[in-house]
Amino acid sequence: MTAPASSPLFSVEHLSVAFRRRRQPSFAAVRDVSFTIDENETVALVGESGSGKSVTALAMMGLLPKYNVEMASVSRIVYRERDLLRCSDDERRRLRGADMAMIFQEPMTSLNPVFTIGYQIAEVLRLHKGMSAAAAQARCIELLDEAGLPEPRRALARYPSQLSGGQQQRAMIAMALACTPRLLIADEPTTALDVTVQKQIVELLKTLKARHRMSILFISHDLALVGELADRIIVMRHGEIREAGDTQQIFSAPRDRYTQALLQCRPRLDETPSRLPTIDDFMAASQESVEKKARALSPLTPLPPRERGTLSPLLEVDHLKKSFFKREGLWRRYEIPAVKGVSFTLRRGETLGVVGESGCGKTTLGLTLLRLHHATSGAVRFDGQDVLTLSEKAFMPYRRRMQIVFQNPYASLNPRFTVGQSLLEPILLHRMASGRQAATALAFDWLYRVGLDREAFDKYPHEFSGGQRQRIALARALTVEPELLICDEPVSALDVSVQAQILNLLKDLQEQLGVSYLFISHDLAVVRYLCDTVMVMRDGEVIETGDVESLYRNPQDAYTRQLLAAVPHSGIRGQASEA
Amino acid sequence: MTEAISSLSSTAISETHGDGKRRGFWSLACQRFRDDGVGMASLIIVAAFFVVVLLSMSGMAASGWNKEVAIHDAPPDLWGLLKPAAPTAMKSLAQRVEEETKNAAQAQSKEALPPLTVTDPLAETLQALNASEETSTAKKEKRASLPFGGDRWGRDVLSKTIKGTQTSVIVGLSAALLATFLGTLLGALAGYYGGRTDDALNWFYSVFSAIPYLLLILAVAAVLQQRGVTTVILILGLTGWAGVFRLIRAEYIKHRGRDYVQAAHAFGVPDRRILFFHILPNVSHVVLVNISILAVGFIKAEVILSFLGFGVKVDEVSWGSMLNDAQSELILGRWWELVAAGGAMALLVTAFSLLTDAMRDALDPKIQRTS
Amino acid sequence: MTAYIIRRLLQMIPTMLGVVLLLFVLFNWVGGDPAYILAGKNTGEAQIANIRHQLGIDRPAYVQIGIFIKQIVTADFGASWSTNEPVSDILKTRLGPSLTVMVPLMVLGTLLAIALSLIVARFRGSLTDRMVMVACTVGMSISILVYIIVFQYVFAYRLGWFPVQGWGDSLWKNLTTFAALPILIGLCVGLAPDLRLFRSFMLDEIDQDYVRTARAKGLSEARILWIHVLRNASIPIVTYVMAALPGLLVGAFLIERFFSIPGIGREVLLAVERSDFPVIKAITVYVAAATMLANLAADLIYKAVDPRVELK
Repeated sequence: MTAPASSPLFSVEHLSVAFRRRRQPSFAAVRDVSFTIDENETVALVGESGSGKSVTALAMMGLLPKYNVEMASVSRIVYRERDLLRCSDDERRRLRGADMAMIFQEPMTSLNPVFTIGYQIAEVLRLHKGMSAAAAQARCIELLDEAGLPEPRRALARYPSQLSGGQQQRAMIAMALACTPRLLIADEPTTALDVTVQKQIVELLKTLKARHRMSILFISHDLALVGELADRIIVMRHGEIREAGDTQQIFSAPRDRYTQALLQCRPRLDETPSRLPTIDDFMAASQESVEKKARALSPLTPLPPRERGTLSPLLEVDHLKKSFFKREGLWRRYEIPAVKGVSFTLRRGETLGVVGESGCGKTTLGLTLLRLHHATSGAVRFDGQDVLTLSEKAFMPYRRRMQIVFQNPYASLNPRFTVGQSLLEPILLHRMASGRQAATALAFDWLYRVGLDREAFDKYPHEFSGGQRQRIALARALTVEPELLICDEPVSALDVSVQAQILNLLKDLQEQLGVSYLFISHDLAVVRYLCDTVMVMRDGEVIETGDVESLYRNPQDAYTRQLLAAVPHSGIRGQASEA
Repeated sequence: MTEAISSLSSTAISETHGDGKRRGFWSLACQRFRDDGVGMASLIIVAAFFVVVLLSMSGMAASGWNKEVAIHDAPPDLWGLLKPAAPTAMKSLAQRVEEETKNAAQAQSKEALPPLTVTDPLAETLQALNASEETSTAKKEKRASLPFGGDRWGRDVLSKTIKGTQTSVIVGLSAALLATFLGTLLGALAGYYGGRTDDALNWFYSVFSAIPYLLLILAVAAVLQQRGVTTVILILGLTGWAGVFRLIRAEYIKHRGRDYVQAAHAFGVPDRRILFFHILPNVSHVVLVNISILAVGFIKAEVILSFLGFGVKVDEVSWGSMLNDAQSELILGRWWELVAAGGAMALLVTAFSLLTDAMRDALDPKIQRTS
Repeated sequence: MTAYIIRRLLQMIPTMLGVVLLLFVLFNWVGGDPAYILAGKNTGEAQIANIRHQLGIDRPAYVQIGIFIKQIVTADFGASWSTNEPVSDILKTRLGPSLTVMVPLMVLGTLLAIALSLIVARFRGSLTDRMVMVACTVGMSISILVYIIVFQYVFAYRLGWFPVQGWGDSLWKNLTTFAALPILIGLCVGLAPDLRLFRSFMLDEIDQDYVRTARAKGLSEARILWIHVLRNASIPIVTYVMAALPGLLVGAFLIERFFSIPGIGREVLLAVERSDFPVIKAITVYVAAATMLANLAADLIYKAVDPRVELK
């Protein structure tokens, strides 16, 4: 068989992967997936969690465990006219690291913690190229330099834990490129990284691809990010391909409803719709979901229309400082400031967004406001009262008036409590209802308001999806009718399509209840959608504060501009007014 | 891959809930346990041992363990399965005389036999009492063989083994409960409060863990002149909490930073309630598995203590004291007491250990058995 | 680093005081009046008072603790109550035999368990793996007493391969003849729990992300196991072995007793039987001190094998 000139580098044909389970039918993770990757082409696999995108990549690399995986007999993965699925283990092993390489989501855990970076890269070179130790070391320095790691010579002797997340991922890339593979599989390589670092890594991958004329299979949940570097995009859901096409076509004329939904339900930097469309609006516009939406929208306690700026301040924070202490030497303790004298004001019924990258102190700020951390100095006035000086007992009423919703909905609910128990506890503790019956009725009421059924009451958290759990956490915080709700990255752990639902819910609840939000997030687009004012933080300090509109349109500080520029938006901007 | 697997298991969970039943942590764990064949088998064996203990405690079994029901060193017949042929018995008797003379010289140089283990005067008077009680009728009816054989006073080894089981299980479980209670309580307080409380309790822990465990037990045994089941329970329980303390403290430190605890704090839920109502159920599987691990360890420790003569009283029976008897009997070719005591213990401890493993697997779905 | 070591050494002081206090309470109050134990049952009041004065227990508690601490610092615990031999001499002469048995036992046992656990970990989930694990569980469940009794009976009494018991003056003779069977028994008893534990350390590492990376690099399974996994698993193994080190000093009580090896373990048992308090106290205090030093050494080694660890 002679391959035509246009024969693809890689072709995946009718790939079906199922996991065997105990006493249950096998779980089909990937169903009849076919696609090709041409030479020097970047193909993106996009999908939410459980879409089978990672399993597809692992199957291509031959990294799926053997003991519980079933593959359909018609499945083929062809590379250079060889069907990899029918190669021996040894043949496949020789291809891995040499012809095809892979980088992963968590660079920290993906590197071996007890070997130096240099050792781990040299290992590949010595194995596949048979290089001597000295030659391998020289090549390592080249590779690290190419991957943009500062001081590559010194980096050789470093351990992974001595590098930052971005540097670790660069080291991973250097390792993957050691033998100049024909295909690089990148499985969510930037998801664990900050947005500015993400941009750098994406740029790096683009440069390297052009230089080495290799192909990239880029796996991501983020359609906008993929638009920055992919030639073609494949959208997956529930193990199947929903749509495949050129990047241009996917963004400008998506054919599949699911693709349309993914594009529309992400908030954007350049406009603020009053509501985000949700996945249900596109997928199954059934009667039920419309009803649910209507019920969540119906105002329970109608509020008088508010006027911006005339409202009284609810929360005034004055030079709030929080430091942690670490011991060093014999007796000395040195200070690690997390929040360095932050001041701001939040008015009733408004939303203040706190934006920054990891380690900027935004989460510590939220916890310190609620006295979940002890403040080092400064003042927090809630409704005129300095709450930091109050005794624990005197602070108790304020524990009702200030509440918090956490980032990880899997961790914020007690796994041994039913939803009912979780909701009843604050209701009874703060005497929001008299008697158990009234309390239960109130709990039902809150479940209803966040869009959950009564049946949820007796269930345990693990029986719900991430989005549903976040609704429960929200309901629990609202049972005590707080005036201030601190939302610490409430949608970051959720799939894109679920994010929109929770954001809409937050917006609806604010309309109905008049509650103020302190919205902590790393995601500038989400902040833009939800907030009235924004505060940008970096290294524990406030960099810039301002009205959402003006700050996004005309950022004053260089760091703010850098942050805004790093947000991937290339594909989406072009078709803002369509659909 | 871990992501793939975890998303897989979460779908598995949501699918099992398709039938509409609400399932908490414990019922899911029970379900996983029932799927484990080895675990169920070991559970049945452990349960059987518990039934034996109950029968023994109520006096329905082995009540006459210290009666001389058979001839000296009666051989085992396993209810007729083994043939204790008369000539063999004769030969063994001859052998015994021969060996005893041979060993007499050795025994003098040998310190291995502790003074306490040799026939105790008290035991002998007790036997004399028993013997006189039964008078001549018993002597006539003395049997030539017993299912598990007899010891050197003609006592039924099977009954002794049953009584020994009772001692072991009671000591093992009670001491494990005591140690786990202490370790859990102190560990929870130290881990949750941190700061000064933690420093103080940690100091207490470091003192106890600085002394090797067996040495500590022996030191306490040296001081307590009293012997008996209660003493053994107290010795083991009061010295054995340190391991549980360390584990539970670490668990509480982990959990006190979790979001669900932070959320409870944000509502102003009182500390005591967070300690025992919020966090404790989340570490209860650790506690449960630990009781089981400690029970196994304490059963082994009790056997050693009783063997050395620091355990049960001479008028009580334990596998340890049986092994002590068996040590001198083996030299004379009487293997059955050794096999009975050693075998019963091995069976119980094996079943208990496998049960612990199965429990751990069932309670911690993250550790997936790869098969 | 130096600051860390100094701080850790300083932290040992309160712990050591705690051990002293614990022993003091145990031997002076819980155990009843030492004078009666020392004097025996039928002694006159005057003689008791005399003994009390000699022991110093007629003085206030803080003075007595002071005496105890002085004994520890000067390493002078007086004479044994039963043999009148100075306690320090007892310790000195008994340490050698204990180490002769324990050091080879520990080295051989650890190496054997590491090698076997790697092999078992490679076949995890297979029938072989499960059979080995069940065999380990059964092996661990048989009392150490049964091992000793049976091995001594079979290999020494019956087959005569080893001496039944005894001890000589030459280290080489002790090692090759007298300690051989005890070491063999120790290996058999210790292998099953060590193998199980080390296997679990290996399996913890095998599921890590970096193993997937190593596979993606095209490394062979053998290299992944023997280089990447073993290097990481060595961290908990080192911790575990270091924690077991103080046990060297105490030796194996039972083995020493059965084989009449004049080591510290047998001395402890004799002392407990004879209520020889000075000997027990001295051994306990020194072993506690050794344990704390071993823990410190363990943390330093931990730092050396794991680049992630920061000494605090």
